[in-house]
Amino acid sequence: MAVIAGRPNRGALLPPRFSAVTESRAGSLAIFVTRRALWMIPVVFFVILITFFLMHLAPGSPWDRGGGRQLSQVVVNNLNIKYGLNKPEYQQFLLYLWNVGHFDFGLSYQYEGKTVTSLIGEGFPYTATLGVLAFLIIVPVGVGLGVLAALRQNTRTDYITMGFATVAASFPNFVVGALMVVVFSVLMAKWTQHAFFLPAADFGIDDHLIMPVITLSLLPIAYTARITRASTLDTIRQDYIRTAWAKGLSERMIVVRHVLKNSLMPVVTTLGPTFAFLVTGSLIVETVFNIPGIGRAFVTAVESRDYPMILGTTILLALVVAIANLIVDILYVFIDPRVRLT
Amino acid sequence: MQLSTRSRSIAFACSGLFVVAACGGNSSAPSANLAPPAQQILRVNTVVEPNSYDPTQETYAYEGSVGHETFEALLKPKADLSDVQAAAAKSYDVSSDGLTYTFHLQPNAKWSDGKPVTASDWVYGYQHFLNPALAAGYVDPFFDGTIAGAANYGSVDVSSASAIDSYLSGLGLSAPDATTFVIKLAHPAAYFKWVVTLWVAVPIRKDVVESAAGGTFPSTDTTKPEVWANNAKTIVGNGPFKISEIVSKDHVTMVPNNTYWGGAPKIQQLIYYFIADGNTAFSKYQTGALDIINTPVADVTVVRGDATLAKQAHLYPELTTFWMTFNTQKAPLDNADVRMAFAKSIDRNALVNDIEHGTDKAIQSFIPNGMSGYDTSDNAQAFDPTAAKALLAKAGVTASTLNKFKLLTRNSTGNKTLNQFIVNQWNTNLGLNMQLDVIDSKTVTSRIRKGNFDIYGPDGWGADYPDQQDFFDIFTSTACHNLNWGCPTLAGYDALVQKADTELNQTQRNADYLRAQKMLIDQAAVGFMYQQYEYDLIAPYANVTRTAFDDEYTPGDQNYQSAYITAH
Repeated sequence: MAVIAGRPNRGALLPPRFSAVTESRAGSLAIFVTRRALWMIPVVFFVILITFFLMHLAPGSPWDRGGGRQLSQVVVNNLNIKYGLNKPEYQQFLLYLWNVGHFDFGLSYQYEGKTVTSLIGEGFPYTATLGVLAFLIIVPVGVGLGVLAALRQNTRTDYITMGFATVAASFPNFVVGALMVVVFSVLMAKWTQHAFFLPAADFGIDDHLIMPVITLSLLPIAYTARITRASTLDTIRQDYIRTAWAKGLSERMIVVRHVLKNSLMPVVTTLGPTFAFLVTGSLIVETVFNIPGIGRAFVTAVESRDYPMILGTTILLALVVAIANLIVDILYVFIDPRVRLT
Repeated sequence: MQLSTRSRSIAFACSGLFVVAACGGNSSAPSANLAPPAQQILRVNTVVEPNSYDPTQETYAYEGSVGHETFEALLKPKADLSDVQAAAAKSYDVSSDGLTYTFHLQPNAKWSDGKPVTASDWVYGYQHFLNPALAAGYVDPFFDGTIAGAANYGSVDVSSASAIDSYLSGLGLSAPDATTFVIKLAHPAAYFKWVVTLWVAVPIRKDVVESAAGGTFPSTDTTKPEVWANNAKTIVGNGPFKISEIVSKDHVTMVPNNTYWGGAPKIQQLIYYFIADGNTAFSKYQTGALDIINTPVADVTVVRGDATLAKQAHLYPELTTFWMTFNTQKAPLDNADVRMAFAKSIDRNALVNDIEHGTDKAIQSFIPNGMSGYDTSDNAQAFDPTAAKALLAKAGVTASTLNKFKLLTRNSTGNKTLNQFIVNQWNTNLGLNMQLDVIDSKTVTSRIRKGNFDIYGPDGWGADYPDQQDFFDIFTSTACHNLNWGCPTLAGYDALVQKADTELNQTQRNADYLRAQKMLIDQAAVGFMYQQYEYDLIAPYANVTRTAFDDEYTPGDQNYQSAYITAH
C-alpha cells in the first residue's frame, strides 16, 4: 500500500470493526467445533476397543451365578448363541462397532429383553439431577470461597476457608459419603429418636438428594476454591486493579467487574476436570447411596459382566467428559478475547 | 437371611415350594375382623427387582415370587409338603408305567383379561419355555430325562427355525381337548408331579405374545417373544393377581385378578419393594412403611431386645443346607480321613450361635429338616476335635501340608465372618495355620467351575421342590465341575441315585436315597454345616398363613392369595 504524502493510512492502525471480529470468530468456532466433534469418533473407538477387550479379560462369564446353583452347560451354550458370545472375540467386536454405528447398543444381559438404551434412559435423569445440582453448588460456592479467601488474605477467614479446602480435598468421596450416613442418618436418628435424620437409601428426588449432592460436590468445591484464590491473588496485584482503586471505584465494583472477570480463566480451565470428576464420582456416590443412576448401573453391570451395558455406559460417560471439555474450550473464547481457536 | 451375597447365592435354587392352603384362609377369615378394602394393602420387601416378568424366564426366587402370584402352575405343594394338590389342574392321572401324566384343567379357569384358559395355552407355554433359542435359565428339570423328546435340548440348532419348530412339536406335550393337558415322559419320574409345581411351568397366551411383538415371528427370534413381559398392560396371566404397575428399580404393584377361577384375593394391592439395604427395610418396617421383611442379621439382637418387635418376629426353617466343599482332586483331600478331620473339627453349634445369633440350625446330614428324607441318625461328622486329630495322624498328613490350603471365600461381610470362624476352628482344633482367600464373587464362581480351589464354602443347596431327587443329583459324577465342585469319588453312588430317581415305589426310593446320604456323610464328600432358617418380621395386622418351610426370599416367595389385613 502506498503511503501518500507521508500520512499513514489511519484505517490500517484502527482495530478491525467489532462485527468483523465476531464474524471471523463464529466461522473459526464452527470449524473448531466440527473438528473436535469429528475427533470424538476415534476417541469413542479407542474407548470401545479398550473397554471391550479389558472386560472380556476379566474372569467370570455373564452366566456365572453369584453362588449356589449354576446354569447348566446346555443353557450357557444357548445363552452364548443368543447373545452372540459364541463367535470369536474380534467378530463380536466388529459386530458391536457396526451396531454402534447404527445407534444399536444391544440388549442387557441382566434384564431380559431390555435394551441398553432404555436402561440408560431410566438411569440418566437421576445422574443428571445429581450432576447438575452439584455443579450449581460447586461454581458459586467454590468461586465465592476462593475470592473471599484471597480478599482477606492471611486473615482468620483465609485460614479457615483454606483449612476447610485442604481437609475436603483430602477425603475421598466414599469416605465422606459413609461418614455422612453414619452421622446424619444413623446417629442423628438415634439422638432424635427418629424425629429428624437424612435418608440414606431408597432414593427419591427429594431430601434424599442432600447427602449425595454434598458428597459429590465437596472435593470440587475445595479444588475450585483453591484455584480461585490463587488466581484472584494474582489478579489483585495487577496494575489495572491498582488503577481502579486509584480512580476511587467501590470495592464491589472492583471485585465484580475487574477482579472476578479476570480471575475466572484458570477457574474455567478446571471446569472440564470438575465435570469429569462428577461423572466418575457418580459411580461411587450412587453406589454408596443406592441411587438408580448411570453410575450404579455401570457398577452393577461390571459386577455381573453385562458386557453391552458396560460398553453402553462407558461410551456415554466418555462422551459426557469429551463434550464438557469442548464446552470449556469454547467458553475460553468468550471470557478471554486473546484466545484463538485453531 | 445372612448377608446379601449368601442370600442371593442360594436363592436361585430354593424356591417354588411354598404355598399357603389355597382358599382355606379365605373361608375361615373372621370377617368382622377384616379391614375395609381401602386398607387391604400388603407391602413386602422382596429385595431385588425381577429381571423378567415372563415366569418362564425367571430363575431366581425373588423373580419367581412375582410369577407365583400372576401365573398359576398345574399343581402346588400341600402345606405340610407331604404331597401335591390341585391348582390350575383340578386333578391328574398317571399311567401305570409312570410315563403319561394327564392333567384335567379347572373348567372355569380364566385369564386376567377374561378369556378362558385352554389346554393349547398350556402347550404353548411349555413350548415357549422349552424353546432353546430363548435359553430359559431354569429349564433343566424339564428336559433332563423328564419330558419325552426334550433330551436333545442342548443340541438343537438355534439358528434354524425349522430345527427349533420340529424339536418343539416333537415334545411329549398335547391337548386332546380344551381342558385336558397331557405330558409324556421319557423315563418314569416319581418326582415329576413336583416339577410341574414350579413357577416356570405355566400357560402363556400366544395371541398376547404375538400382538405385543407386532405380529408372528420365527422361533429363532429372541427379543420379540419377550416384548409382552416388559409392559404391565400386556402381561396377561392366569394367577390370582395381575400386575398393575411396574416402577423400575423401586416396586411392582399387583391387584386382584377378578376373573381368577378360585375367587379374587382379599388383598387389593400387593406391593413388592426392591430395597437392597436390609437396614433401610428394617427402619421402614419400624415406621410402618413395610409390612413384611426379612430381618437383617445385624438387627436380630435389636428385634429380640424389643418387646413389641419380638412378638412380630417369626423363625421359619428353609429347605436349605450349607456345607464346606473339599477339592477331592487335590491330595491329600482325596483321602476321606483328611476330609473327615476337617468336617469333625468345626463346632457347628458355636457357629450358628455366635455368628448367626441362633437363627440357623447346625446339621451333620444332607437332607434338611422338613422334607422327606431328613435323617440325623448318622453322626459320623459330629464335632470331635480329638477324633479329628487322630484321623489326620492316621492319614499321615502334617500341618505344613495343610497350611498351604486356603479357604476360598466370596467377598461379602457375611461370608468373611463365617469363614473366618471356620478357619479359626480348624487352626485351633487341628493345630493348623490356614488362611482365607477372599475374592470377588464372579471370580470365585469361575474358579470353582474349573476346580481351581482347595476348600470352598459355604456352598449350599435349597430345594426347588421337596423331593430328594432334587438334592442327590448334585453329587453325581456327571455333575462334576457343574454343581459338584469337589468331585468326590463315591463308588456306586451314581447308580444308586439313578435307581432311586426312576423308581416309582416311594418306600424303596427313600431307602435308596438314605443309603446315598450315608455315603456322602461317611466319606465326607463335603462337610455338612447348617440348615438355613429365616427370621422374618410380619406386621400384626397382616394375616399371612405360612407353611412351615420357606425360602430365603420369603417375603415375596409365598402365595398371598389367601392373605388379608385385619382391622387396625
